[in-house]
Amino acid sequence: MPGLVEATILLFRTQVARVWWSRRTLACLALAAAPPAMAWIIAHINTRVPPAGIATHLGWLLLVQIVTPLCALVCGSAVVTEEIEDRTITYLFSRPIPRAAVLLGRWLASLVVVSVVLGLSAWLTTAVARSSPVAGAPVDDRITVPLLAAVWIGGAVYSALFAAAGVIFRHPMIAGLAYAFAVEGFLANLPGRNQALTVQYYLRSVIAATGSPEWRHVEGFASSKFETLGAATTTLAVVLVVVLALASWRISRKEFVLSA
Amino acid sequence: MSAVVTARDLSRWYGPVVGLVDVSLTLESGIIGLLGPNGAGKSTLLKLVAGEIRPSRGAIEVLGRDPFANRAHFADTGFCPQQDALYGDMTGLAFVTFLLRLSGYSARDARERAGRALERVGLSDAMDRRTREYSRGMRQRTKIAQAIAHGPKFLIADEPLAGLDPVARRGIVELFRELQREGLALLVSSHVLHEIEELTREVVLLHRGRVLAQGDVQGIRALLSSHPRKVEFRVRDARRLARAVVEMPGVRGVRISADGTELGVETSDLDGFLGALPAIAAATRAGIQSLHTPDAGLEAVFDYLVG
Repeated sequence: MPGLVEATILLFRTQVARVWWSRRTLACLALAAAPPAMAWIIAHINTRVPPAGIATHLGWLLLVQIVTPLCALVCGSAVVTEEIEDRTITYLFSRPIPRAAVLLGRWLASLVVVSVVLGLSAWLTTAVARSSPVAGAPVDDRITVPLLAAVWIGGAVYSALFAAAGVIFRHPMIAGLAYAFAVEGFLANLPGRNQALTVQYYLRSVIAATGSPEWRHVEGFASSKFETLGAATTTLAVVLVVVLALASWRISRKEFVLSA
Repeated sequence: MSAVVTARDLSRWYGPVVGLVDVSLTLESGIIGLLGPNGAGKSTLLKLVAGEIRPSRGAIEVLGRDPFANRAHFADTGFCPQQDALYGDMTGLAFVTFLLRLSGYSARDARERAGRALERVGLSDAMDRRTREYSRGMRQRTKIAQAIAHGPKFLIADEPLAGLDPVARRGIVELFRELQREGLALLVSSHVLHEIEELTREVVLLHRGRVLAQGDVQGIRALLSSHPRKVEFRVRDARRLARAVVEMPGVRGVRISADGTELGVETSDLDGFLGALPAIAAATRAGIQSLHTPDAGLEAVFDYLVG
């Protein structure tokens, strides 16, 4: 009988080959196209913002705060839910594998999609911002690299959270949207330590710790106190592991009743 | 013979909906038919046996184990679910191969076994096509292939003959018999009596979540033939026809509509009644326009049995 690692790899390999042609990936691509498109409009139509301003503002306010959680929600919530909706989970759950492998293998496949799509979006956004004819601070690696790090780390943590929601809730998309907007969107922008209850706070800490001074012009970066890079990444890693462990425990015990 | 399935006071409900109530039974080796009308609890019982759901009350053992989420159980059993669902973007061969890999076979062994299983269900020509291009019968056979490919000791099949054309059905019935000869135990559900009769003489009758009877299919046949059946006619002159049929052996009563164009007959010998009908129709010239037997289905028989 395959163990957890072997079954996870098998499921990952199969799923990663299939997931590229799914409607959810197309939805992610559509969402991820928004920041570069906006960057182009600002750079070439509203020619008042310098390149670094376009990259940092769109990078944070649109890409990290909105597109990253939404892409992760679209892909992450489908990790288990898609098998339930397609009524194919029976085939996986009637095999002699640890059930957690279904969650982990499919989550890893969705993580690849989210990472590629968001990475592409971040790179394109900064590349398009560079083409702005306005004189001012340029887009350098200290803008691009922290932005890439934020979308990749954020994509991983959010997709794990929403994959877990797919195991726990009947309608994970609704629960995920409520979380993304009510908790992440609202709480992360309130002043005070309650920000530390959100993923956004730690992503902002990662950018603040590694980014260029240009990031300080973005709302929320100037006056707040942030975690160190080590503390922020460690906290997010712990959140990721704990969420996946809880979801694995839950999926091992939960019944998934399918209609005929 | 050792018990394959043992259930004690098994109940299962879905919120307020009752799926199965206090079912106690022991199923031994061979082919066991699970028979009952839609909503009788067949799928619920099979899902409990397959380890897909837990009992709400009572206990179940399959091959001596609690089946729910039990990896050793899944290694020894094959499950052909009722739902018409496959990975549409995969070929039949890739689908069965993938599931065999999850059963622990190497890539090469899995491919070989998948090919053999698909050949056994008559899909060797279509195994390289995507399953979304399959007909319902082909998908059904793919589901059976994935359930037998890993060489289980026990096969659980939920309505496996549904959607199959007569030739394919004959092939699957032959395959199931062959698997039985190879030593496999099979639990097969259907709501169609003659489908089960083709497969086995051992049946469990379920109705409204309860076991109504368990045993030889001949007994069920006997119940069927003693069950008074209705025949309804649309006819030009119902009274003339009624006068003739009321004298026939087995006829228990007749009912004529107010306008005299509809006739209902209740008989305990349907075959005899239908056999004699052409001669009576010719003799009376009552002008029969149509007839049907509204309670010929299994549901009516079950309703009759449970009073």
